[in-house]
Amino acid sequence: MKRMMKAALAGGVLAAFLSMSVSAEEIKVWVADAVTDFTSAQIEAFKEANPDFAGYDYIVEAVGEGDAAGNMITDVEAGADIYVFAQDQIARLVTAGALEEVAPDNVEAVETQNDAGAVGAATVGDILYAYPITSDNGYFLYYDKSVISDPSTLEGIIADCEAAGKNFYMEINSGWYQTAFFFGAGAELTYETDDNGLFTACNATYASDAGLTALKKMIELKSSPSFQNGSSVDKTTNAAAIVDGTWDSVAAQDLFGDNFACAKLPTFQGADGETYQMSGFGGFKLLGVKPQEDEDKLAACDALAAYLSSEEVQLARYNEVGWGPSNLNAQQSEEVQADAALSALAEQLAYTIPQGQYPGDYWTLATSLGDSVISGELSADSSDEDLMAALEQFQATCESYLG
Amino acid sequence: MVEKKTASMKRKRAIGNAVTYLVLILMSVIWLFPFFGLIMQSFRSYDKAVEYGGMVDYIIPKHFSLDNYKFLFSGETNFLLWYRNTLIIAVCVAILQTIVILCVSYALSRMRFKGRTFLMRFWLVLGMFPGFLTMICLYFLLKQFGLTQAGAVPGLILISVASSGMGYYVCKGYFDTIPASLDEAARIDGASRARIFFVMTIPLSKPIVIYTALVAFMAPWCDYVFASYVAFGYDKSYNVAVALQRWIWTNDYQGYFTRFCAGGILIAIPVTILFMFLQKYYVEGVTGGAVKG
Amino acid sequence: MEKKKINPVATAFGALGRDLKELGLTFAEGDWKTRLSAVIFGFGPLMRGQIAKGLAFLSCEIGFILYMVFVGWKYLSKFGTLGTVETTKSRRVTVYGDNSFLILLFGLLTIILIVFLILVWRMNMRENRDEELILRKGGHLPSNRKVLGSLLDSNFDKTLLALPVTGIFVFTVLPILFMICVAFTNYDKTHQAPTNLFTWVGLANFRELFSFGSTGFGKTFMAVLLWTLVWAFFATFLDYFLGMAVAILINRKGIKFKKLWRTILVITIAVPQFVSLLYVYKMFANDGLVNGYLLKWGLIKSAIPFWTDPMLARITIIVVNIWIGIPYMMLIATGLLMNIPEELYESARIDGATPLQMFRSITLPYMLFVTGPFLLTQFTGNLNNFNVIYLLTKGQPQSMKLAGNAGQTDLLVTWLYKMTVNDTNYKMAAVIGIMVFVVTAVISLIVYNMLPSVRDEGGFQ
Repeated sequence: MKRMMKAALAGGVLAAFLSMSVSAEEIKVWVADAVTDFTSAQIEAFKEANPDFAGYDYIVEAVGEGDAAGNMITDVEAGADIYVFAQDQIARLVTAGALEEVAPDNVEAVETQNDAGAVGAATVGDILYAYPITSDNGYFLYYDKSVISDPSTLEGIIADCEAAGKNFYMEINSGWYQTAFFFGAGAELTYETDDNGLFTACNATYASDAGLTALKKMIELKSSPSFQNGSSVDKTTNAAAIVDGTWDSVAAQDLFGDNFACAKLPTFQGADGETYQMSGFGGFKLLGVKPQEDEDKLAACDALAAYLSSEEVQLARYNEVGWGPSNLNAQQSEEVQADAALSALAEQLAYTIPQGQYPGDYWTLATSLGDSVISGELSADSSDEDLMAALEQFQATCESYLG
Repeated sequence: MVEKKTASMKRKRAIGNAVTYLVLILMSVIWLFPFFGLIMQSFRSYDKAVEYGGMVDYIIPKHFSLDNYKFLFSGETNFLLWYRNTLIIAVCVAILQTIVILCVSYALSRMRFKGRTFLMRFWLVLGMFPGFLTMICLYFLLKQFGLTQAGAVPGLILISVASSGMGYYVCKGYFDTIPASLDEAARIDGASRARIFFVMTIPLSKPIVIYTALVAFMAPWCDYVFASYVAFGYDKSYNVAVALQRWIWTNDYQGYFTRFCAGGILIAIPVTILFMFLQKYYVEGVTGGAVKG
Repeated sequence: MEKKKINPVATAFGALGRDLKELGLTFAEGDWKTRLSAVIFGFGPLMRGQIAKGLAFLSCEIGFILYMVFVGWKYLSKFGTLGTVETTKSRRVTVYGDNSFLILLFGLLTIILIVFLILVWRMNMRENRDEELILRKGGHLPSNRKVLGSLLDSNFDKTLLALPVTGIFVFTVLPILFMICVAFTNYDKTHQAPTNLFTWVGLANFRELFSFGSTGFGKTFMAVLLWTLVWAFFATFLDYFLGMAVAILINRKGIKFKKLWRTILVITIAVPQFVSLLYVYKMFANDGLVNGYLLKWGLIKSAIPFWTDPMLARITIIVVNIWIGIPYMMLIATGLLMNIPEELYESARIDGATPLQMFRSITLPYMLFVTGPFLLTQFTGNLNNFNVIYLLTKGQPQSMKLAGNAGQTDLLVTWLYKMTVNDTNYKMAAVIGIMVFVVTAVISLIVYNMLPSVRDEGGFQ
């Protein structure tokens, strides 16, 4: 019937296209460009190990974690059957019906073999919705040894940068990096969701002394001529230090050459005279399976997702592109233990909270807050009342995303 | 007395000219600077052994290299495919859109039929809706025909051509300037409307045909918004704008800035050359369009 | 000139009345072939030997019936609710329910096709009537050959316009109607087809746009609208006057290499904007070339926030737009300036006019007169100038003062785009789209009536 309709609309020539697009039983896989070849090779191995599932046509496309969620939501039907996404998108994907629950047979394995943060990130309400594949989406400090003598305090880093006329990069208009200040100063922001990805409760304490301390520090940081807003190594100029994640470690080594070094995030001194350790999110890359109308295909997708997130493949992926595994055994392996960037991250992880679920609007709201600091709308001249009013509005808006 | 006056006028003119030259030279520098910068960046290697490939705060590369161009042609990415897609789209759109616009313009300029003014007003009103409004709807319409993702190239051609009839203003304005008496004479000799259109009007309209085709040809090279919406998740259907933007705006591509510049130069070359050759017609088209509104 | 007052409503009713009367006559005076045609389209023409016309009518009817049976009815019957069957799970397999999106789209298409069919039916009856009248007068009906042949001659407009009009209908009119409907639904990220249903909500979205509470869109909408207007004004008139000035400069007597100067400027039109504007954006970034060199030369102590300070960002955008706009305007002005009769200047010069006076009293009035409508289209075009804003700032910087993720340099269109792509907030995007239309239409109407070339039909003397 649907066919008839389409044919009636499209006419003969176009119908040909259509029959082409529905004929083969395809399983579409979306991963970042850097791992397309790796993933294709792994799928070949998977097909050999599972002859039952070898009949499908596996297609690997380069769609990075940044784009995957948006594209899935635009059109679930045309989206991938299996895709990698950054965990901050999970609630949105569940709500849009773009994520299938993890197969009951796989749940126990996923929950016991991966670190607790990763499992938490893949869980919405009480349901496990995705397979963790990395546990490295956190951030820390890359720096130039020849410029920065002591990376342990933010004030020291800034002073060194200013003295050398170099730049310090941190993306303070991102809801992700911003929490380094807020959580570090002791403010809180967490959400609870139901099983459908709808937000049911919000615990926010940004409108507090802790929040004020954090905001003032951001304003102070922004007032330094060395400060630059950004977090991508290849888009920096004249940088001496960057708050960034493991995915940029190769680029950072290129940039700093022999002076390359990394460390946990520094401490900062608040306006109240206290010293705070910068905090932040520990984040994860997850592998999701799209809801399916065909049971056999779903079984194949489940099996492949389990395979691509297994210990061996995570370790192989680390060796190939340096993505830090979420699998506990893989984390203990020698190679991973010896990785400089990953150890800096591990050190930082002690001060961060595993990132739970946040509404999509939180991220853009945080950008507004950061932009207000960067644009000077909130500045050193603003009174405490003004700053508090902004924080109260921020918190109220965060709380308005429920339901 | 008279001599004195002309002498002072001459001096005044000379000073005026000197100032004008100065302004023009300054403007040329400003206008060309970004392109100069782009070209220079495209010759900076991305190979760290040679020179750092990210953003830098200087213009002239320390070492000139063709690495970026080699990379684009090496087959490591689908750059040549993306380029071909864009070229196919541009050529098809240029041809089909010109045909559509000529048909509509001729009908509106030469024929008087019921609903003619209604049609023109209606299209004018339609044009006041922002184009992106309908993006999601167009996507799903195209999807019904199988013209998204794998079919995105014909899909994009269809979308560009389908609504192009509304852009008849310039062309109709030109037809209006061709004396109607020519048509009348031909009709008295027994020629049909169709014959007049093909044998007389079109050959007389060479400048406007070239202008219409040129404008249509240039547009697809910049089409990022709709192309990325229609082709998402299918690398082989991307056009250059979508593919290259991805290198800059997503974090998966480190050190691609200089490659982006090289890609940009490769796109700019054919369009610029074509434009230089056909500049005369372009000027005629935009001037005519401005007068007719 | 006295204008007759015409009441459009009365005219429409009058026309409808006449039409119904004629229809009555068609039935009353018509033979059985004509009457049967009311059910079987084109039956009369077919029986009278008008095969081409008859078949055309008949195929319209058959096509419509097929469409209704296989597609139309299924969607039209659910149009009132936009679907009620929820998506469910049977074991682990997903069973999709109604797809509100497709119901709305095809329901709308079906309604339009029904209207279309009624029109075809009416044409079909009129054709019968005409044929009967001709035959009754003892005339001959044209041969099929002649009927088809007329498509290349007297009816050539139908041949020429058939495809373009269909294309515009399917890919412009239908989508616009669809999005207007969306503005009255709750189609957003929590009501997304195919998994979730969406439904009609009346005017709720419009109320949200005009709610001025702390989280309401009202204030933000006003702020964005204001900047959109300011931007369109500067983008249009600065480019216009500066472009004209450059054209006059190049046109000066005694300036050599005129073609070279023009060509240099015109390159900006040929190079794709997504490449050139990205580079320009990077140039002016806080850590970009311009700031880098100014710092290096010690001219400034800290970077100038070209893109991060809201006011400065707006100014920078307008300045960059001058860079884009001057060449285009220069080309137009060059062509037009040559049309001004040289004698006008000669006589002014003899009267002792200064160049400035000549510009004010000759050049400018002429240019304004000739390019009035063009300026209007430029202005409305700039209201919707997506590329420049999006490729430069993407609407940023954002601010705590603005709701709906709007940025301080966002135009209504870029805001609309971000809502569609980033937030999948289709309902509000649709509302904003309608507002853009309203703003454009109102401005066009007002300005159009003020234009000298419209007010003064006599023309430039």
